[in-house]
Amino acid sequence: MRDELIRGDTNGWSAPGSMRLRAKWLAVGAVVLSSVHCGPIESAAPDIAIELRWEPSPPVVGNVDVSMRLTDAKGTPLAGAEVRIEGNMNHAGMKPIFADLAEVEPGRYSGTVPFTMGGDWFLLVTATTPEGNTVDGKIDVLGVRSR
Amino acid sequence: MIASAQRRRSVTTTSLGQPLRDTSFDVLRIPLLGRFLRWRWSRTVLQIPVLLVGLIMIGHAFWGPQLAPKNLAVLLTWVHFRGLVVLVILLAGNLFCMACPFMLPRELARRLFKPKWEWPAALRNKWLAISLFVSVLFAYELFDLWSNSWWTGALIVSYFAAALVVDTLFRRASFCKYVCPIGQFNFLGSTLSPVEVAVREPETCDRCQTRDCIVGVRAPADFKASDGTAIEQRGCELSLFQPRKVGNLDCTFCLDCVYACPHDNIGLFARLPAEELGMGGNRSGLGRVEKRFDFTVLIVVFTFGALLNAFAMISPVYTAEQWLASVTGLDVEWPILAALFATVLILEPAILLGAAAVFTRWMTETRQSVPAIINLFARSLVPIGFGVWLAHYGFHFFTGCLTVIPVAQNAALQSFGWPLLGVPRWQLGGIPESIVFPMEVGFICLGLAGSWMVAWTIARDLSPMRTWAGFTAWGTLHLLLFVSAVWIMIQPMEMRGTLLGG
Repeated sequence: MRDELIRGDTNGWSAPGSMRLRAKWLAVGAVVLSSVHCGPIESAAPDIAIELRWEPSPPVVGNVDVSMRLTDAKGTPLAGAEVRIEGNMNHAGMKPIFADLAEVEPGRYSGTVPFTMGGDWFLLVTATTPEGNTVDGKIDVLGVRSR
Repeated sequence: MIASAQRRRSVTTTSLGQPLRDTSFDVLRIPLLGRFLRWRWSRTVLQIPVLLVGLIMIGHAFWGPQLAPKNLAVLLTWVHFRGLVVLVILLAGNLFCMACPFMLPRELARRLFKPKWEWPAALRNKWLAISLFVSVLFAYELFDLWSNSWWTGALIVSYFAAALVVDTLFRRASFCKYVCPIGQFNFLGSTLSPVEVAVREPETCDRCQTRDCIVGVRAPADFKASDGTAIEQRGCELSLFQPRKVGNLDCTFCLDCVYACPHDNIGLFARLPAEELGMGGNRSGLGRVEKRFDFTVLIVVFTFGALLNAFAMISPVYTAEQWLASVTGLDVEWPILAALFATVLILEPAILLGAAAVFTRWMTETRQSVPAIINLFARSLVPIGFGVWLAHYGFHFFTGCLTVIPVAQNAALQSFGWPLLGVPRWQLGGIPESIVFPMEVGFICLGLAGSWMVAWTIARDLSPMRTWAGFTAWGTLHLLLFVSAVWIMIQPMEMRGTLLGG
């Protein structure tokens, strides 16, 4: 199992209540799960960290377990958030897949992502904190293998 | 050899002894539809909505979400347009050239600037279009156009610009006939269409003195049309003289000839798909196709390009590319991709077609040269090539046809701030792959059958006493292409950025 680190920024943290400031693709960068792209990749936005683990790794077509750890700039786990993943293929014309992640410990969330086809995917991660703040992130998942 | 479809139609009789033309089905005689199509502005009416969709696509390409699956330009271009083109060509005809949106700005421009030049004689062939065809296929893989909204938008804008510039500078339909790669694709594909623009009664054409179908309808001397010319209705801009026109090659289904004919003697007739591929002889506006090497190369690119385009979507291609990269030491994409293209589009066809021609020459003992035999039989590749395009594009279309609904809903939501078309229903996809796969195989089987029939017809004309000898090599080649295509289709798809991980 491999860990990948994606860093984002805190500009996307919105004030509580109706002021919903969205972080636009703050976690841009590739989580690369193939051997070619292993290791941490840092984006220009440094204040939010998303740490991903896949099982199996690299992911293959079918149900793949994902574990995600969210921390802020100080490394404090982002606890109590509702985390949702939308997966899309880079190619148009494919139905997206969705997965809700459950918190298994403070700041760590897990669930199952049902990859329907081999190839390049990207995940849109949305985390909503108990205060109502929302963070969006895009993570590339290149080279999901066919079985 | 049959001189022309029309001539043949005029002399062929049914088992009851009636002329075949009397029983031929003419789309222009269908109530309402036929009346609409015979209306001079029907093409414009068809082009306007396609143009509007094109403008929406351009807008969304540059200002919409830059995520391919959520962008209308990418989705409609690479999934819906391509899929519908091949399906409509198969089931109806070259209706996408008929409704081509690139022609509307050109028509408007020609009201302001009359083209003065003739298309250069040296370019009156398919070489430029072939180059552009290959370039589009190459750019598609190199720049991952299927996942790039901006470049897809740029491609559409470039297309509009090229059509506008070429047809504003040069007379007639120079862009369609000599430049447009989509047009060449449609021309070849429409040889398999079930309808054809053709004359109703050849005898009427024999008596015709004005030839309006080719030169256009001229207004009386004291009258000028609204655009300032003396032409009320133009004739065929692709130089297809109806009495000598054979098949759908180079025909955009614009129906200008229908509007121009003063005798109402041109129709849209049902016919046997692919039959024209077995016909030799002189064709109006084209000459003898079986003697034109540019047509042979166009057909080769069409057929082997179909396999290459599909091959690029499965995992073995990445193995091949990685191997090439390791052998050559290259870590940049384009030379490896170029090598792959050269192998599939030049080397492989040269070997296969050359071997088939040599074998045919030896078996039939014909005096024709090997290149002449290749030119002769190249037409037989079109059905299997089209079958592969159908299987490939049909796969994307059928499995993703409904995705346009949530993407359009999302576009409206983002554009207007409220769900004008409803909340995006992302769960909509298309037909399951398990159902689409048999359809894919069926399309390729149809292609194989078509190629065999065409090759048999050509072999019979080449060597009536040794038809089997003439057919065997080409039938084997078609079978080889068929097996290759089916092998590609049964591989699990891996939609990746081509080469070295993209």
